[in-house]
Amino acid sequence: MNVHVVYCNHETAALDVRERIAFSSEDQFDLAYRRWRSAFPRSELVLLSTCNRVELYAARPDDEEAPTRESLIRFLADVHNLPPDQFSSHLLEHQGPEAVRHLFEVACSLDSMVLGEPQIVAQVKEAYERAFRYEACGPLTNALFQMAFRVSGRVRTETALAGGRVSIASVAVGEFGRSIFDRFDDKTVLVIGAGAMAEETVRYLADEGVRDFLVVNRNPQRATELASEWGGHMHPYEQLDEILAQADVVVSATGSDEPIVSVERFRRIRARSRGQSIFILDLGTPRDFDPVIAGIDDNTFLYDIDDLKATCDANRVRRRKEVEKARKIIDVETERFVQELYHRATGPIVKRLRDEWHAIRQQEVDLLFAKLSHVSESDRQAIEKSVERIVNKLLHPPLEALKDEARRGSPHGLMDALKRLFHLTE
Amino acid sequence: MLDVTVFCFFASYLLALVIEASRAMSGRSWLRWPSFFAALAGLVAHTFFLWNRGQALDLPPLLASHQDWMFVVAWIVCVLYVFVIAYDQRVGIGLFALPVVLVFVFVGRFASDVTSNGLAEGGIPRGWLLLHAILLSLGIAAVIAGGVLSLMYLLQHNRLKHKRMIPRGLTLLNLETLAQWNYLAILIAVPMLGLGLLAGVVLVFLGRQQGASLTLNDPFVIVSSLAWLVMVVFLGGTLRNRQPVGKAVAVRTLLAFTLLLTTLLGLQLITGGGHTSARPTPVSSAGLSGSHTSRLACVVPGSPLSV
Repeated sequence: MNVHVVYCNHETAALDVRERIAFSSEDQFDLAYRRWRSAFPRSELVLLSTCNRVELYAARPDDEEAPTRESLIRFLADVHNLPPDQFSSHLLEHQGPEAVRHLFEVACSLDSMVLGEPQIVAQVKEAYERAFRYEACGPLTNALFQMAFRVSGRVRTETALAGGRVSIASVAVGEFGRSIFDRFDDKTVLVIGAGAMAEETVRYLADEGVRDFLVVNRNPQRATELASEWGGHMHPYEQLDEILAQADVVVSATGSDEPIVSVERFRRIRARSRGQSIFILDLGTPRDFDPVIAGIDDNTFLYDIDDLKATCDANRVRRRKEVEKARKIIDVETERFVQELYHRATGPIVKRLRDEWHAIRQQEVDLLFAKLSHVSESDRQAIEKSVERIVNKLLHPPLEALKDEARRGSPHGLMDALKRLFHLTE
Repeated sequence: MLDVTVFCFFASYLLALVIEASRAMSGRSWLRWPSFFAALAGLVAHTFFLWNRGQALDLPPLLASHQDWMFVVAWIVCVLYVFVIAYDQRVGIGLFALPVVLVFVFVGRFASDVTSNGLAEGGIPRGWLLLHAILLSLGIAAVIAGGVLSLMYLLQHNRLKHKRMIPRGLTLLNLETLAQWNYLAILIAVPMLGLGLLAGVVLVFLGRQQGASLTLNDPFVIVSSLAWLVMVVFLGGTLRNRQPVGKAVAVRTLLAFTLLLTTLLGLQLITGGGHTSARPTPVSSAGLSGSHTSRLACVVPGSPLSV
């Protein structure tokens, strides 16, 4: 099966590596998919880039090999204009059924930093839809991703993996925000960015009692939508410094390629503030705040995605049983998907074999009836049925063997043998 | 009446502290209950002890010996501990408050147990004496509370700055609450101690009018007053600033309060709680087996202005 994934995530690469190869803007996706189509015109690709992972799913629906790890790394390096050795050692890969299992684990949030968090399904869906829009999807990736969404739904329904505190925002606020502030309903919350992550965080903070949301985004329309949805106020991007000086809580999740707040800029902002405690949650990849800002004064508390890792690991240990249940479901579904895929791969061979043998049968029957013109219509039908039964009985053992082979793994060896034995052409 | 000894409540507090420490290390949150109940049992025994003592001496414990005065301060700190647990059961306040309680009980056990009764011989109004004692005791309890809160603040701040996860067995209050309570502790401690000292000065003058040999030149009085002044200098800025946040405030509070407490406890140990002009009548407080009719010259035992 020609499915190949090359990836890095919060386990294999630190944030400073991930942010170098992340796809944070639509322009970057556009460039990547255009280059892909010209470099690998017959291969399918889905790019998944979130704050915790960068993954490339490549597939070839025909019998040809999917792009190799080296070619995928070269592709990634070209798109980001980076030397491959800056990130290649942090990349892992899976092929065939292992690649399928990996995608299912990602979609089920087993591979997420926050175990069971629901955002990842939406992010995988968004990645798939984007690939579809850029015409990089094909029959294999279509089937693979559709199945991944079904498995994710099943795990969510049949396990308690998604129970309790299950979003990055909730972990960050629960672990750090609540240790800084006693309450949030009297705090000024600034949201920088208006994407899915920002919205998810706003939703959580609203549940925590926050009433005063200020939204700043480069795209004012999206910011207005988010602000009006949650009863907040949109401010022009140019007022960012002024609002940062007032804010008690800052959630930043923009798609910026580089930090939007440097140390010097933040120092100036703090000089204008009343020196209050400020809790900054930087969910951007690449990060929106220079990490050095964390040490700028005693009352500035800056956290990024990787700072939540220890809490998330502890959470994972507590949910070990649910993880085991989810893995069992994923094992079953992976096997089913792979069998189905192999079964589908045997389809064209089975069809060609049947077509050719029945064509021969028809030729021979026609020749026979040309010689036996006295045979009645009922006898003709009886003879035709009898010959057809013989052909079907002869076809049965090789087709069953093929089906059996597909159940046990890749049937490509037997398919090649059948092609050669029966001279089946493409 | 129950026969309660110092050992009863000291052992209970010690047991509560050991359980609290094992909770912090093991992360078993259910251990907070045995710890709390052990401390509560200690508090009940402690209360009975002070009540018995007051009944036996016919004096409020604050006006009895230096030892009793220290036991009263330990009792107030323990009440504050119970108050915090009632506010949030998860908070590991016991790990910070119980050692202070134990230190006060332990040092108190070695402090002077002579009873004081200036009411009978000095003719000083009992109301002034009580006011002096209550103000100073509440001030010192606020000092201890401030010290404990500042220590918690610094630990929490350190955890947040180093981005470490919450230890499962040691939940601390959030910085905002800690800063507000710390500010409140300073707000109580500084004026209470100041007014307590003032009341002591008034007592000296009242005592002199009544012919008592009271003086402000006692080293105990001088050192205690100096410690109070240093504390006011340290915390004056904090009281002026209405924004009770920051690590610096916690550090200053902890330093000032540690200095004050060390001075008071050190003086208790060095001088045996006595003053140059004290005329003590020793009475064993451990047994409390009978009533005591003590006669003494001290105004308020253990307090900076006692004589």
